[in-house]
Amino acid sequence: MSLLGEEEEALKLSEVQTLKGHTDRVWGLAWNPATGADGVPAILASCSGDKTVRIWQQQQQQQQPQPQQRSCSSPSFHCKFRIDAKEALVLTLRFSFVLITTEARELLFGKQLATASFDAMKMLSLLLEDRHDRTVRSCAWSPSGKQLATASFDATTAIWEENGSDFECVSTLEGHENEVKSVSWNSSGSLLATCSRDKCVWIWEVLPGNEFDCVSVLTGHTQDVKMVHWHPTVDVLFSCSYDNTIKVWAEDGDSDDWHCVQTLSESNSGHTSTVWALSFNVTGDKMVTCSDDLTVKVWSVDIVRLQSGDIHASWCHLCTMSGYHDRTIFSVHWSREGIIATGAADDAIRLFGESEDQSVDGPAYKLILKKEKAHAMDINSVQWSPTGNRLLASASDDGTIKIWKLESMQGTLNHSSPNTL
Amino acid sequence: MSEKFSATLRIGDLNDFIAPSQGCVVSMKSGSARLVDNNKPKKLAKAAPATKTLETDPVKISLKDCLACSGCITSAETVMLEKQSLDEFLSNINSGKTVIVSLSPQSRASIAVHYGLSPVQVFRKLTTLFKSLGVKAVFDTSCSRDLSLVESCNEFISRYKQSRIDDTKESKSFLPMIASACPGWICYAEKTLGSFVLPYISSVKSPQQSMGAIIKHHLCQSLGLRPSDIYHVTVMPCYDKKLEASRDDFVFQDQADQMTTEVDSVLTTGEVLDLIQLKEVDFSNLDESPLDKLLSNVSDAGNLFGVRGSSGGYADTIFRYTAKTLFGHDIKGPLDFKTVRNSDFQEVTLEVEGKTVLKFALCYGFRNLQNVVRKLKNGKSDYHYLEIMACPSGCLNGGGQLKPKSGQSGKDLIQALETAYNENVLVTDPFENPIVKQLYDEWLENPGSEKAKRHIHTEYHPIVKSITSQLNNW
Repeated sequence: MSLLGEEEEALKLSEVQTLKGHTDRVWGLAWNPATGADGVPAILASCSGDKTVRIWQQQQQQQQPQPQQRSCSSPSFHCKFRIDAKEALVLTLRFSFVLITTEARELLFGKQLATASFDAMKMLSLLLEDRHDRTVRSCAWSPSGKQLATASFDATTAIWEENGSDFECVSTLEGHENEVKSVSWNSSGSLLATCSRDKCVWIWEVLPGNEFDCVSVLTGHTQDVKMVHWHPTVDVLFSCSYDNTIKVWAEDGDSDDWHCVQTLSESNSGHTSTVWALSFNVTGDKMVTCSDDLTVKVWSVDIVRLQSGDIHASWCHLCTMSGYHDRTIFSVHWSREGIIATGAADDAIRLFGESEDQSVDGPAYKLILKKEKAHAMDINSVQWSPTGNRLLASASDDGTIKIWKLESMQGTLNHSSPNTL
Repeated sequence: MSEKFSATLRIGDLNDFIAPSQGCVVSMKSGSARLVDNNKPKKLAKAAPATKTLETDPVKISLKDCLACSGCITSAETVMLEKQSLDEFLSNINSGKTVIVSLSPQSRASIAVHYGLSPVQVFRKLTTLFKSLGVKAVFDTSCSRDLSLVESCNEFISRYKQSRIDDTKESKSFLPMIASACPGWICYAEKTLGSFVLPYISSVKSPQQSMGAIIKHHLCQSLGLRPSDIYHVTVMPCYDKKLEASRDDFVFQDQADQMTTEVDSVLTTGEVLDLIQLKEVDFSNLDESPLDKLLSNVSDAGNLFGVRGSSGGYADTIFRYTAKTLFGHDIKGPLDFKTVRNSDFQEVTLEVEGKTVLKFALCYGFRNLQNVVRKLKNGKSDYHYLEIMACPSGCLNGGGQLKPKSGQSGKDLIQALETAYNENVLVTDPFENPIVKQLYDEWLENPGSEKAKRHIHTEYHPIVKSITSQLNNW
């Protein structure tokens, strides 16, 4: 990747906004995949220990900037805000939002940055005020961006749909014995997976009329399952756990049920402690995992074999990035353009890119950027915006969400169209 | 050993796969700690009537303690090994008690496939084996199942009629009626689903417990024995049946004030194979004894009688009976079950004048169970009867059955079991079973009578999650 070659020194991660509002640690983030491009303002969902989910929306600037400054592909974030009459607390929050206008940004960061033209995000909607009894651990938009699934420590998963200016809970999925840790939609939006501290992974089929049928209950993990995630192109499910393993689940045509087709554990170069998160590259031939063992591992698969329907196409360890982290790595996310971001317990964000100088063993990844003190406390989630606009959102135990922009020191990257990156 | 329970039980309570010694919420210490446990005063009194010994002897967790607790279910294993094991069975054979064994048809099918014999041959050979060990009689639980089926038909008709008459909101708890024969399902319903689902579950005892009731409440009197003189063992396809036999609801006080259980011990099919191997019996060449016809319905030609459906045939039997009794449809031949989502979820309906008057479903395995329960909870269920079984493929695939031989797929084994199950079985209306008729004549009077309710029906109890079991989650 050219931008990571000679120019790597030139990259920087600039904070463009801090989203405040959650009153407890923020656990998860999800960019709405149907937004953030083609003039549709980006929407981000966040979930928290305060039992709520908040929807943040980028707002078009009120003042039209100069044409040469305006980059339509990189709109700024503002936030619409729905005041819930029930919530006096929310009312007070209204005044704590930081709205960064173009002028303010120019003042703060200089003209160069203003061309990055970032519209502040504003809270659009507040969900789940009385829906989940406990922490909302994870949230995920359906591929169409029309529905949001939220997984809670109250053992339920809720499905939300936008209804005018509001979000309405259209379905509740029960069945897990205790805390639901993660929720994920498959690429077509026809299947939904959840996992829990009860060691189980559930797969639900999405039926018309907001009906959900349980397709499979998968047992195999021997401990708390931390995350479930579907492959980006094939209906194969991945789960990672406190039992240090990553399991691959696929439907067996014979018995019309789902089975574990592969377990990535210490014995096949896997992790030696809790695996917290996993993410795929854009083509889906590589997966990255992060762990309490302070390493990030990259795995690869014969994608042609996998896509031709061979669910047994196995995932092989490609490389391990060790020595970069000294605290637990809670989150990992692979950007569309190939940059791996990690969020860790040392409050830092790190970015890794595929190294130009490949070793004989295959591709190597190297640290291209470390943002120390990105947050005041542990970082629970890092999520790249899906539109390739180089926006990264991070969520932390400090109760805030930060929006970052990856850009070159010289601003050269922004002169080219960011969407092509 | 935890994998031997039905998946439903394992999933429903998989908080802790632990032995009691490691983290059981019921205190294991002898003496006061356990006595102050407010949740279990009743159990204590039963487990150890003499309080003095309780203070000196180490207290053991009984299977009943585990059943009453909302914590882990699998702690029960260690306890079960002691109370419900082959060793316990063998030591009771020579204890001076009259030992009676009741064999399930699913267990016979499993052993038949294993040895390449017919189920009737297996029945006769097992009779030889058990009697050589000192067992007095070997019975067939498909005979007591006919009694459970007759009571279930009667209960369904009464629920169906009530649901038609009663337009109030309470009428919603009449239907669907849900089969009660699967202990894995019952345990899951009580511990996890709780009170909303329990009113739907049929109050009729399972074939195992009906057999226990017949033997301990009725047969013993005709034999001139006290219930406590009889040691009743069942052979079942399922580990969860051990939990069922241990329920407080199936313990009663006899005239001599002795606490007696309807079923004293449950052996799985696999444990019977262990017994055959332990005794170094050449099973294939073992003599075939005549069957005990007292509580086994056998034709003169040596055929057994049964109903369609390898998991008890509840939906099949009740559907036919209701179609005939309420709608005048006498259905001959197999019912037209339609596969809905997968082979473990099938529906059958009866239409009268273009209107669906009966809608029954077979629902096997945890995932299908989840979906019907979900519909029921959301008020979207239009079923009249649900035959829910915890195991995929139903009872033939119970956790206590013999495992596939090397090279044999699970699917092939189930197919072979289905074939064997129906071998030598004449499909007959349970109402025509002469032994059942005799039981009503001599003892129970009529289906649904007070006596029948007392002996062949039972109750279910929601188990409230205690704080201690919640804490144990951490």
